Amino acid sequence: MRKLNFIAISVLSVALLASCGGNDAKEFKPALNVDTKCNIKVVGEYSNFEALEAEFDKFNVYYPHVTLTYEKLDDYNNTIGTVLESDNKPNIFFSYTWMMGNDKYNNVVSHMEDLSDAKLKLDLNCLRQSLVNKTAQGNVLMIPVFSRTYGTLVNNNLFKKENLKIPSTWSELLSVSSSFKEKGYKSPMMGYSLKTSSCLMNTVAYPAFVASLANNPDALAKANSLDPSAGEYMREALTKVKQLVDNGVVNLEECDKIEDNYTKVILRFFEGDVPMMICAGDTVSGTKKRESQSEAYTKNPFEYSYIPIPLTEEGGYFMDSPSIEFSVNKDCKDLDMTNEFMRFLVSKSELNAMASLKRLVTPTKELTFDPVYAPFAKVPSSRTFSPEVLGIKDQLTVQIRNAAFKVGKGQMTIDEAVNSYGTIE
Amino acid sequence: MKRIWVVIVNIIIMISMVTFVVVYSNFEAEESKRTQIEHFENTTITMEHVTENYLEGEQRICDVWAHYINSENLTIDDAISFIRISHVLPNASAHVVFRDTLTGLSTRARSTDASDFNVSYKALDFLNDVNWIHEIGTSINISRAYTNPVNGDQSIAFCNFIKVKEDAASELKDAILLRVLPITELKEKWVFPQEEFENAELSIIDADGDYIIKGNSYKNSSFFEFYKSYNKIDPTKASEFFKNITSSTGSFMMSNSRGEECILAFTPFEATGDWTLLSLMPSRYLEAKTENWLLIGIVSTGLFVLFVFDLVIMLYFNKQLKVTAKEAKSASKAKTDFLSTMSHDIRTPMNAIIGLTTITEKNLDDKKSVSENLRKISLASNHLLTLINDILDISKVESGKVNLVPQTFSIVETVENLMNLSQPMIKEKNIEFDFHINRMEKEYLHADQLRLNQIYINILSNAIKYTEPNGKVTVDMKEEESEKEGCVKLTYIVSDTGIGMSKEFMANMYQPFSRQTDSRVNSIQGTGLGLAITKQMVDLMEGTIECQSEQGVGTTFTVVLDIPVADHQRAEMKLNEMDVLIVDDDEILLETALDTLESLGLRAEPAHGGLEALGMIKHREETGKNYDIVILDLKMPDLDGIETIKRIRSEVKSNVPILLISAYSWSDVEEQAKEAGVNGFLSKPLFRSTLYNKINEVLGTEIESMEPENDYSDLQGLNILVAEDNEINWEIISTLLSMYGITSERAENGRVVVDKMKEAKEGHYTLIFMDIQMPEMNGLDATRTIRKLDNVWAASIPIIAMTADAFAENIAECLNAGMNGHIAKPIDIKLVIKEIRRIREESKK
Repeated sequence: MRKLNFIAISVLSVALLASCGGNDAKEFKPALNVDTKCNIKVVGEYSNFEALEAEFDKFNVYYPHVTLTYEKLDDYNNTIGTVLESDNKPNIFFSYTWMMGNDKYNNVVSHMEDLSDAKLKLDLNCLRQSLVNKTAQGNVLMIPVFSRTYGTLVNNNLFKKENLKIPSTWSELLSVSSSFKEKGYKSPMMGYSLKTSSCLMNTVAYPAFVASLANNPDALAKANSLDPSAGEYMREALTKVKQLVDNGVVNLEECDKIEDNYTKVILRFFEGDVPMMICAGDTVSGTKKRESQSEAYTKNPFEYSYIPIPLTEEGGYFMDSPSIEFSVNKDCKDLDMTNEFMRFLVSKSELNAMASLKRLVTPTKELTFDPVYAPFAKVPSSRTFSPEVLGIKDQLTVQIRNAAFKVGKGQMTIDEAVNSYGTIE
Repeated sequence: MKRIWVVIVNIIIMISMVTFVVVYSNFEAEESKRTQIEHFENTTITMEHVTENYLEGEQRICDVWAHYINSENLTIDDAISFIRISHVLPNASAHVVFRDTLTGLSTRARSTDASDFNVSYKALDFLNDVNWIHEIGTSINISRAYTNPVNGDQSIAFCNFIKVKEDAASELKDAILLRVLPITELKEKWVFPQEEFENAELSIIDADGDYIIKGNSYKNSSFFEFYKSYNKIDPTKASEFFKNITSSTGSFMMSNSRGEECILAFTPFEATGDWTLLSLMPSRYLEAKTENWLLIGIVSTGLFVLFVFDLVIMLYFNKQLKVTAKEAKSASKAKTDFLSTMSHDIRTPMNAIIGLTTITEKNLDDKKSVSENLRKISLASNHLLTLINDILDISKVESGKVNLVPQTFSIVETVENLMNLSQPMIKEKNIEFDFHINRMEKEYLHADQLRLNQIYINILSNAIKYTEPNGKVTVDMKEEESEKEGCVKLTYIVSDTGIGMSKEFMANMYQPFSRQTDSRVNSIQGTGLGLAITKQMVDLMEGTIECQSEQGVGTTFTVVLDIPVADHQRAEMKLNEMDVLIVDDDEILLETALDTLESLGLRAEPAHGGLEALGMIKHREETGKNYDIVILDLKMPDLDGIETIKRIRSEVKSNVPILLISAYSWSDVEEQAKEAGVNGFLSKPLFRSTLYNKINEVLGTEIESMEPENDYSDLQGLNILVAEDNEINWEIISTLLSMYGITSERAENGRVVVDKMKEAKEGHYTLIFMDIQMPEMNGLDATRTIRKLDNVWAASIPIIAMTADAFAENIAECLNAGMNGHIAKPIDIKLVIKEIRRIREESKK
């Protein structure tokens, strides 16, 4: 009886999968022997990856004897190279755009399979092409699984309560923040501010800095090469940070009470007295699960959304950048089944499902399917930038991050920061 | 109870039974499941012990290394060298890292650089706070699962504090010794030993729910998060719930990531403090052997089959019961009708007897009237007797107590008797009657004559009764060879042109009390028992009876019996050669008569009518070869028998003897025939012996008579002792006997009989007629006493029962008591005389 139930549920699941795929989704049809027994291991730096584990279960409906596991590697960036050389090689591993061209990761890149190979039949067209990073030879070594962006969580209920409109321009942001302050809110905008990593200052400054470089290839080249003259392009971004602090929109004293850049940020937002919480999309991914962990939110739940910070009078920026990407280890065991799993995973329905569960921005073209991220779909292409497409290099991001943090904290003036570009630590 | 209720009750019982089986099966399944869960929990506890022993063993190795290193004040290189030497596990390694820098050396080189033995734990958080590492030998100091920075394997490490020098010249520094084991190796060993739990997966979690070691089915990095992702839990009770998991032993049901119901057993590690061992298995594997759908299926099917079977049987029995009830109702009605009929039928002759007796008493002087009345009284009495006999017979038939009493008898007499009995009715209804026999060779047969008579009389009397006036009844009797040794096959066919029978009636005509319902037969006397008795008798005699009938056309009954031939037969019947003319319009009779006459040695010629016969006789006279005898039928179409005789006597000179044959009573034509010049009468059917006897009689030839008919001289002087307690009966028997010249003496009871016999001189009594039911001593006891008397004559005197106890068993009882014969009351004096003669004949022998 139980067995029958299981079969019935399995069949139902397949049917639901098919129906969820919509008209555009092609039903997955196994290409290999469904009785194949093998192990597929995915390694990455996420502590949790339930969204991927859910895909494992779905894949097992087609291939019930394939054991799929996800394993977190400690100190991922340093150990992935070692792991790929070990006896216990992973089949799929997290990869990042910055690994490309970085000598330290040449060994890692050398293990990556070309996923654009037509024989693999991966549906790369379902992805936003701005997220797909290709080599000089046109090979696709990484498949974006989630997208990262920068913005702010908004407590919709508070805006309603205070009869205020959610801001869509810089002026409105300052105005609304002023109103909140008048109504007794200590810090209308908050965020993590203890350390540079994922600090609110960078979340504000980075999109503005990229925007200033986007249409100026020379400036971008200088910035990537840490040419001090490129520091001037940070001025506007740093000014925004300083304005937020100086105008009391962001009360750093309050923000410094948030002890980490992920869980504590979310739990603080769920306290219900913060109109706007500046954070990256990665942080938003943790909100759903932590709703139940917050006693305050459980008692007084509210509606919230995630919007681009309106840094201009036209609106905010959408920094469309891959959060994590998957690469297939071409030297792994059971490569055929690994590619079969990738063929299953790289589809609009599965990537959207995974993004929905993880609550990250989907890498597919269907950006509006998740209402939390829907506001970003409205950002026009003129204010949408892909750092990977632009060719933003890691050292550039470090400089703007450090500069924004220090300016925000008052440890450095804007001028000092602009003049110190390339050497800010 | 209506059928629908029976069906409903059956269905309710069936559903109840199936429900009970399902509930019981589920209960058993739950019990079995509970037992298996308990077993699963216990196995988990056992696994915890095994795991703990294993971990302790691994920790002890680490402890030994640490002890040695500390005791020898080794440099880090020496310590690593020492461990490398003592290390035996191929996949295990050891790391020594200084606590201040979290860097050090590994016993194995990096997978990416065979010469690089350096190791750093800076990026790993679990050595930042080392409060979980205790003094050597005091506990199991085991890390969480982590990525081995040297080879990338997911591993766990057993740890100890040690002191080593950076180099030979430096001071001892605090360091940590890590004995590193890959989890894959551990997982391979770490499986449930029991086959039934092969699908169970183990994990170890810490107090926060984070996995130390994680099984494949466990999701998330925290078991608690995994549980919350796929199971509903009240947030306010979550903390307490998870605390319970990490601090006690037990189990509960939960859903895994596939939505499957699973059993999770948990038990804390005693030695490691805040660790908990988890065992997770889909509950379908627990229940696989517990649900007995086969049993439920078999019980359901069995009950359904039983239900259908019972239903069919019930319907069958209901049908049978209905038939039986209908029959019973019919029988009951028939009995009621029968009693009514009996009342009527008994009262009718009784009325005749009583009424005629009254009339006779008042007209004693009118001899003719007295004679006529007595004749009618006799007829009514006989009818009454028949009625009583029928009732007794059917009673015996129904109780299955009919026994045959075979005796030697003459079939000729039987037929004569049959003819005599049927004549009055034939005459009364003016029915055309024919009785044909065909080659009746064997006259004396051995069977129950009484029952045979019953069969033949019943069929014939029915034919006559149910044939309307001026109708026709024909009897054919023939003797054939029987397949049974010593028997002849006697076929008796009675056809009539009567009212016939419907098919419905024929289906039940052998049932007692059944009479054809017809306005024409309502006035016909009958008990409705005749055919039932006849059928029973035929069956008892192992014969067959068949009937063909059509309403308004007539009926034909055919009885076939195999009857044993008596040992004694009449001596060969042969006559001197003579010319005989046989005259009858009945072709069949002519044929059989010619055949019979020729078998007697005569030359017979047939004539089909009176005129033809007259012509033939005249022709013979002209040629001088007169017939020696002429046999004429009484009823012929052109010239009847008497007229033909008259013409013969007037037109032919020779005085040829003429015999007149008829199937009817002679009384009406006897005088007329004698006046016409007949020499004798012959009754149909023309048996061989009848012809033989009559021809001899007419020709004046002396033949040995089998039984003297009107000569009772042989009975003169006989003295019979009659045991009879009833005065009237004594008067009747003594008077009747005296009519034949027999004297009799009365004994009032058995005692008197015995006394008289003791006192009588030899030869004083010829025989004794013994009543059975008498005061003081009954007839049976008296007989037994007499048979034991010392006087040989007295002890051997013939004793004949004369009793109203007329059943076969009564007869048998009498014979067993030592009697020599049985005469049933009311007595037929002819039978009495016949019995006396039989006894005398036997005495002579």
